[in-house]
Amino acid sequence: MKVKKLGDKKKILYVQTSGVDAPERTYAPFILATTAVAMGLDATIYFLIKGVTVVKRGEAEKIKLGDFPSLKEVMDQATKAGVKLEVCEQSCMLLGLERGDFVEDAKIVGAATLNDRLLEADAVMCF
Amino acid sequence: MQTETRPNRTLDTLGLYCPEPVFRTRVALDKMAFGEVLEVFADDPAAEEDLKSLIRRTGNELLRLEKKGSVILFLIRKLR
Repeated sequence: MKVKKLGDKKKILYVQTSGVDAPERTYAPFILATTAVAMGLDATIYFLIKGVTVVKRGEAEKIKLGDFPSLKEVMDQATKAGVKLEVCEQSCMLLGLERGDFVEDAKIVGAATLNDRLLEADAVMCF
Repeated sequence: MQTETRPNRTLDTLGLYCPEPVFRTRVALDKMAFGEVLEVFADDPAAEEDLKSLIRRTGNELLRLEKKGSVILFLIRKLR
């Protein structure tokens, strides 16, 4: 659904620092970002610190809270809608995790990119 | 029409992870004269977007970005 030209779109950046050990904090960025795209906005979720665990392959499948669908379904819905997922791979080193092995849609980026996204965004929300 | 751009300086960041490729590229650019071209090799996947951001934010020009397997080659012209 394209309301405006890409360059005209307002941008929201969601920063996910919480991980799979706090599953109640993992749904909102995907749901908000998917809604943002439906509203004609550009939405990116940046995963860092414990947030990287959310986009490790096979982890979202394990999370299902209350009457919500699994986190994997919510994540797939988001990426299908056009939400961009970016991940700070260095956070794996911080947490003593293996590098890589992220979900297919997650793009590996770093510190300069997050700074750039923050400056480009019209709004930023952290989880 | 494509002309060969010869780098004035080469920076190897292979094996280094974020933010080292960004820091070292910045240091290398600072030592160069305006108009000169820096060639950077990186194999941290984060370097692709990170160096693009660095180059744009510092007002320099990305002449070429090439990927050969896991290695990314950047050609950067120092403008500022």
